[in-house]
Amino acid sequence: MALEVCDVAYSYGERVALDGVSFEITPGVLTGLLGPNGAGKTTLMRIMLGVLSPDRGEVRLHSAPVDSTVRQRWGYMPQERGLYPGMLVGEQVVYFGRLHGLSRTEATTRARALLAELGLSERWDQRTDRLSGGLQQRLQLATALVHEPEVIVLDEPFAGLDPVAVAELSDSLRDRARTGCTVLFSSHQLDLVQNLCEDILMVNEGHIVLRGPLVSLRAASTGVQLRVNVHTPDRHWLDRFPGTAVVSEEADEVRIAIPPGTDPLTVLDGARAAGQVDDFGLDLPSLSQLFLESVDPVGAADGRTT
Amino acid sequence: MSWWQGMGLVYGRGLREQLRSRTFKIVTAVLLLLSIAAVVIPKLVAGGPTTYTLATVGPAPAPVTTTVGAAARDGGFRTAYVVRPDEAGVRDAVQHGDATVGIVGNRMYVAERNAGAFPGIVAQSLVRLQTARMLTDFGLTSDQLARLGSIRPPEQVIVAATQNQGRANVGFAVGLVLYLALLFSGQIIAMTVATEKASRISEVLLAVLRPSQILVGTVLSVATVATLQLLVLAVPVLVGTSVTGSSWLPAVAAPDVALAITWFVLGFGLFAFLYAAGGALVDKVTEAGTAVLPVTAVIIAGYLLGVIVVLGNPGSPLSVAASLFPLTAPLAMPIRWGSGDVPVYQLLLALLLTALAGLGCIWLASTVYRRALAITGHRVHVGELFRRRKGPSGPASR
Repeated sequence: MALEVCDVAYSYGERVALDGVSFEITPGVLTGLLGPNGAGKTTLMRIMLGVLSPDRGEVRLHSAPVDSTVRQRWGYMPQERGLYPGMLVGEQVVYFGRLHGLSRTEATTRARALLAELGLSERWDQRTDRLSGGLQQRLQLATALVHEPEVIVLDEPFAGLDPVAVAELSDSLRDRARTGCTVLFSSHQLDLVQNLCEDILMVNEGHIVLRGPLVSLRAASTGVQLRVNVHTPDRHWLDRFPGTAVVSEEADEVRIAIPPGTDPLTVLDGARAAGQVDDFGLDLPSLSQLFLESVDPVGAADGRTT
Repeated sequence: MSWWQGMGLVYGRGLREQLRSRTFKIVTAVLLLLSIAAVVIPKLVAGGPTTYTLATVGPAPAPVTTTVGAAARDGGFRTAYVVRPDEAGVRDAVQHGDATVGIVGNRMYVAERNAGAFPGIVAQSLVRLQTARMLTDFGLTSDQLARLGSIRPPEQVIVAATQNQGRANVGFAVGLVLYLALLFSGQIIAMTVATEKASRISEVLLAVLRPSQILVGTVLSVATVATLQLLVLAVPVLVGTSVTGSSWLPAVAAPDVALAITWFVLGFGLFAFLYAAGGALVDKVTEAGTAVLPVTAVIIAGYLLGVIVVLGNPGSPLSVAASLFPLTAPLAMPIRWGSGDVPVYQLLLALLLTALAGLGCIWLASTVYRRALAITGHRVHVGELFRRRKGPSGPASR
């Protein structure tokens, strides 16, 4: 058991931002935090980092409540660039390393290595506000990672990055996760999250609406479709499988929506019994579809049928 | 990491950034120039000791030159002598500025301008000379004449409006310096805090530091820079006046200076944390100046109370209240203390109340800093900070 968020609630006056949010994050697994704007993602991250105090609930690491000493070993990257514009690049990374308890020598050594890894070693003596937006984003990541944190929390780390920088940052995060770090990041770039994350957490209106391994969530979704090319015009063989529905039909190819709890392979066996099957395939819903299903089920259903 | 280590890191970073800033370099250079000018310009304008010239027909009588020379040594001026062949020449020398005073027999010619006290000194020496001659004729001995010559006028004591003018000057200076230092440094503190909030640096800091560490470190770094700049302004003046022997700076007793420094530190700390709280309220850095206007208004009100009400009537109830109330005491009490009519217990009470208020301001600024962080999109009102946590149920974990 690693990082746990237990029954966390937070309100801004009358507006409830988080209402009894609970989840766990497994070390070594990249976890994506998703949700529409205003869902409570940033508030949740701020509470995890101790920036805000929850109205109820707590954050635990290794089954113990998290305090400021434990958070010294965490790395945090806020949504906007939390950097001092007038500071030199190297000095900035060393400063944040020291804030997390490193000695000056240790912080300097690690800062040099990290900036080299992120392609910023040539910028050591340059003012931060002279860097491009993408380079500042890398620098901010360096300030969050310089003390080799046990838990890494990143709020929209990919915002504003070009594809090359996204790939480099993704590699950095994968590397950290492989070493056993607990990595949680929020993003609105769903394709990116789908490619990068193994687990996801989806927040909507202050509640966790979806969580778990992405593959399992996709497979268990209502959006699973079986595409089968079967030589028979008769569709009565589908009657044996309650809840299934024909989504589209073109010549011999029929696309069938598989309800949760029904094994697509048994449906395929039913098709084979009804006629010759030339081709088949299983289409899992994309993360975007899962997202829409979770935050707007009616709209998502309308979108699928139109 | 201890509280002091965390605060020290914030302090060191803030200090380095400010010392490196262009604003610091420009302001310090201007202050240094002003300080040097304060020493050099009076010397240039004064051009050394004043020289008065005495014109006579033939060499000036020795008793006159002796008496005038002694007066010159006492009065810090120089004398010169010019000789003219006749009375017209003497008059001409005075008229054309070659001499300050001219003597011919029993007549004295005096320049219309810039003669100062010299005509009186010359006249007095002539009278003394004539008197001595007459007294000798009357039979006085040279010892008796010397005893008469040793008679000196009574010592003059200038009576000012206050009992101790030096202390009053210190009180006035504390108010002025504190007022100017806060107007400048307060803006820097507010801007620093506002920048950290707007750029979300404060979120990263709050993940590892307490608000008090961040704010105390920030305020101390700005205070250090302000102190450095005050030293840049003061040291050349003090060294210059001490080396050149200039006396335009009034003499001040060491305890009064110590008290002045105490008031400066307390006042600076108190208002600096209010400026920090103001900076934490804004959503955009450009709003920082407007957000701290109430703090600036309080400082101006305190200063005006000091120089108008307290200086005018130090014993009035309003003066007593202003010198005890923590938000006006740093500006009003030093001025009132200069009047010499303040009971010591009132001074100690004012110091205690101001120190406690300073600690209260640290708490207030820390609370505002943490709570205002969660509110973005508009400038936060203080009331909003203390109302907004009523909604949720259940205990807070921190």
